[in-house]
Amino acid sequence: MRAEPLRKKKKVDPKKDQAAKDRLKKRIRKLEKASQELIPIEDFITPVKFLDKTRQRPQVELSFEERERRALLLKRWSLYKQREHEIERDAIGVMLDAQQEALEELRLESPELHTEAIKRDPSLFPFEREGPDYTPPISNYQPPEGRYNDITKIYTQVQFKR
Amino acid sequence: MAAPVRRTLLGLAGGWRRFESLWAGSLGSRSLSLAAAPSSSGSPWRLLGALCLQRPPRVSKPLTPLQKEMAALLQQIEIEKSLYSDHELRALDESQRLARKKTDLYDEEDDQNILLVQDLEDMWEQTFLQFKPGSRVTADNKNDRTSLHRKLDRNLVLLVREQLGDEYVWMLPQAEWQPGETLRGTAQRAMATLSENNMEAKFLGNAPCGHYKFKFPQAMRTESNLGAKVFFFKALLLTGDFSQAGKKGQHVWVSKEELGDYLKPKYLAQVRKFLLDL
Repeated sequence: MRAEPLRKKKKVDPKKDQAAKDRLKKRIRKLEKASQELIPIEDFITPVKFLDKTRQRPQVELSFEERERRALLLKRWSLYKQREHEIERDAIGVMLDAQQEALEELRLESPELHTEAIKRDPSLFPFEREGPDYTPPISNYQPPEGRYNDITKIYTQVQFKR
Repeated sequence: MAAPVRRTLLGLAGGWRRFESLWAGSLGSRSLSLAAAPSSSGSPWRLLGALCLQRPPRVSKPLTPLQKEMAALLQQIEIEKSLYSDHELRALDESQRLARKKTDLYDEEDDQNILLVQDLEDMWEQTFLQFKPGSRVTADNKNDRTSLHRKLDRNLVLLVREQLGDEYVWMLPQAEWQPGETLRGTAQRAMATLSENNMEAKFLGNAPCGHYKFKFPQAMRTESNLGAKVFFFKALLLTGDFSQAGKKGQHVWVSKEELGDYLKPKYLAQVRKFLLDL
């Protein structure tokens, strides 16, 4: 008779539970975002031992003749490279023209062969080849025996799935 | 009509009589045995696929004097702008210590590093002198142009000598096109027949890099046989060598300048266009 009216718990409870779960998920996500460590790029970090002042060389004072020689050499070099580039560009142009002429002739000759010649060659790439070295390889070369320890640091980034 | 248009285009190739007569003779004799059909659209040109097989350079080119000067200057600048390395610091310390020893003449601790920097450098020098690298200039040239080991810093192209009629002619290896295959397939067939599957080459694409066309002399021309067109395909030699022990003097590996010793002028002019001179 004097009891409190019974509280109806049915409607609000699922929503409260849902809200609690969402808040927990948000907190987890924030933690995940904060704890993502980036892999350090070792080339961009100067090691501490190179900041030592005793390592610096004394400043070299160049004589007037030396500076003149360097300036003139750089000018000659830029001219040489410019000419080399022009020669290369013209040679490539000639090669391309020759190829275009050949394709034209082929087209006049038979259109089917021309369409097949124009197609891309999927087996061309990836194409790997070792470039020219300073000395040719020695036949029957015996490399020195021994072991080596690989001390490269391997970083792993932990990825959390959402 | 298409024929007069073609004639004006082909006026370039008209003047070379002898080569064409030889060509026509050989093709005429071969056409009976092969029964190769002309191209499907009924044009009067025969099609041939040729192979430009190149051996890429194995060794870098020697530096010109200007390049050497520039390389020396860059090395100098790099040393000037750098910091002292560990090895150099050690050398400086030891020279200071030796100087102090001479002037002060007091006994420091005797258990220093017995191995001085100078000794290390001498040891390294010794091991370097013991190593014999391969020679850049193959001394055993003897003008043997059939070997692959000559001119290691240049691109070498394969030339073959074939008999046409009653004369031997030098040219890039080629084969007649057969209906049902692409022109690149023709070039691959030419390589296979040459090397008997000893050479491996990487073909650079489906498209030809150059062409050469010529007309047969008047006597050989028929309705369907006006002349021939040769299409060149480039390939890089990966491994293997030309092993035709039976025929000597029939093939040659040649750089771009030496092409003129072997090829005829008009053929040479067309071939030089697509070869890069390094």
